[in-house]
Amino acid sequence: MKPALKEKTIKQYTIIAGCGRLGANLANTLSNNGESVLIIDWNQDAFRKLSPSFGGQVLLGDATDMSALHEAEIAKAETVVSVTNNDNTNIFVAQIASEYYGVPHVIARLYDSERDIVYKEFKIDTIYPAVLSAKEIDKILYFHDSPEEKA
Amino acid sequence: MNTRVILIGGFHKAKSLAMSLINKGYTVTAINNDQRHCSELAEIDKLTVFFGDGTKPFVLEDANVYSADIAIALTQRDEDNLVACELCKKKYNVKKTVSIISEPIKADFFRQMGIDSVVCAITAITNIIEQQAFLNEMATLIPIGEGRISLARVPIPAASPIIGKKLLEMDLPREVIVGCILRGEESIIPRGDSRILAGDILMLISSVKHEMIAIRELTGR
Repeated sequence: MKPALKEKTIKQYTIIAGCGRLGANLANTLSNNGESVLIIDWNQDAFRKLSPSFGGQVLLGDATDMSALHEAEIAKAETVVSVTNNDNTNIFVAQIASEYYGVPHVIARLYDSERDIVYKEFKIDTIYPAVLSAKEIDKILYFHDSPEEKA
Repeated sequence: MNTRVILIGGFHKAKSLAMSLINKGYTVTAINNDQRHCSELAEIDKLTVFFGDGTKPFVLEDANVYSADIAIALTQRDEDNLVACELCKKKYNVKKTVSIISEPIKADFFRQMGIDSVVCAITAITNIIEQQAFLNEMATLIPIGEGRISLARVPIPAASPIIGKKLLEMDLPREVIVGCILRGEESIIPRGDSRILAGDILMLISSVKHEMIAIRELTGR
C-alpha cells in the first residue's frame, strides 16, 4: 500500500485558463482536493468567483501571451485546462501546451465543433457543452416519452 | 491558372496588401468581420469581400477557400490567426499559409503547427527603425526568409577604412557575402582580389545578426 500513499502525496500541478463559472468551479474543487492549482484570467474581477477557501495561485494576464505562460511555469504542469469564453483562445492554449511545452494532459472546452480538424490530430481532449447538453436533453426526452417501455 | 489569395482579417494591412497583390495580377479575396471595414474594402477594384469571422469554417467555405493557393491571416489576435491558418491548411488544403504574429517568440510554435510563413510585425518594424537610426545613408534593405537574411545596399563613403583593400583582406564576418559591387554604370561580381573604391555600392547578403557588424566594418563607423 505504500506506493499508493506516496502517489497521493505528489501534488499534481494544474493550470486553468479562464476564470469563468466553469474555470472557477474547477479551480475550487481541485484546490479543495489538495491539488496545486493556478488560474489565469485577464480580468481581475473574474477571480471573485473563486471561493474564499481557494488555496491556489491566481495570475492576472492573457493566456495566449507566452510571457504569462512562462510565469505560470507551464512546462511543469501535469494538466492544462483551457476554458475561456473564446474557442480560438482555447485552441491556441491547448495546442501550445500540448505541442510546444509537452504538457501530458490537455483539455479544452469548445463551443463550436466544426473546427475539430484543427486539433483532432493532437493529444487534446475536448468538451463541447452544446453536444453534452443535447445528449442530456435527448436522454430526458427519451425517458419522458417512454418510461414504461424503458422499465 | 491565376493564383488566388485569401486575406483573413486586418484592415489597413489587408487594404494595402490587396491593392498591391491585385496590381501584380493575383485574384484576391478578403474576409473581414467588421461591416464598416468590409464596405471600405469593397471599394477596391477587383477585390472580392466577404463579411464574417475568418476562423469559422462556413465563412471560409463561403469565400471559396477550396480554390485558394495562399491564405494570409492578418487579424490582431494571434490565436485567431493560428486557427484560421490551421483550418485553411488542414481542412481545405490551401498550399501556403502565412500568418502575422504579435509576439516574436511565438514564431517557432506557429511553424511547428504547420504554418508555412510567420511574419512578426514588431520584429520587422524594430529592425527597420534600428537600421534607419544607425545608418541613414543606407538606401534599401530587403529582408528575405522571414527576416532572417537580408539584402543590403551599402554605399562606401570616401572616409571608409576599406578603400583600396581587396575583399579577402577585409575582416568581414563569415556569415556575410558581398554579392555584387556597383561602380558607376558597371556591376562587378566580386572575387577575393576585387578592390573596393570610394563611391562603390556593395550589395551585401547577410544574416540579420551580422549585418550591422559588417556595415560598420565597411563604412567605418
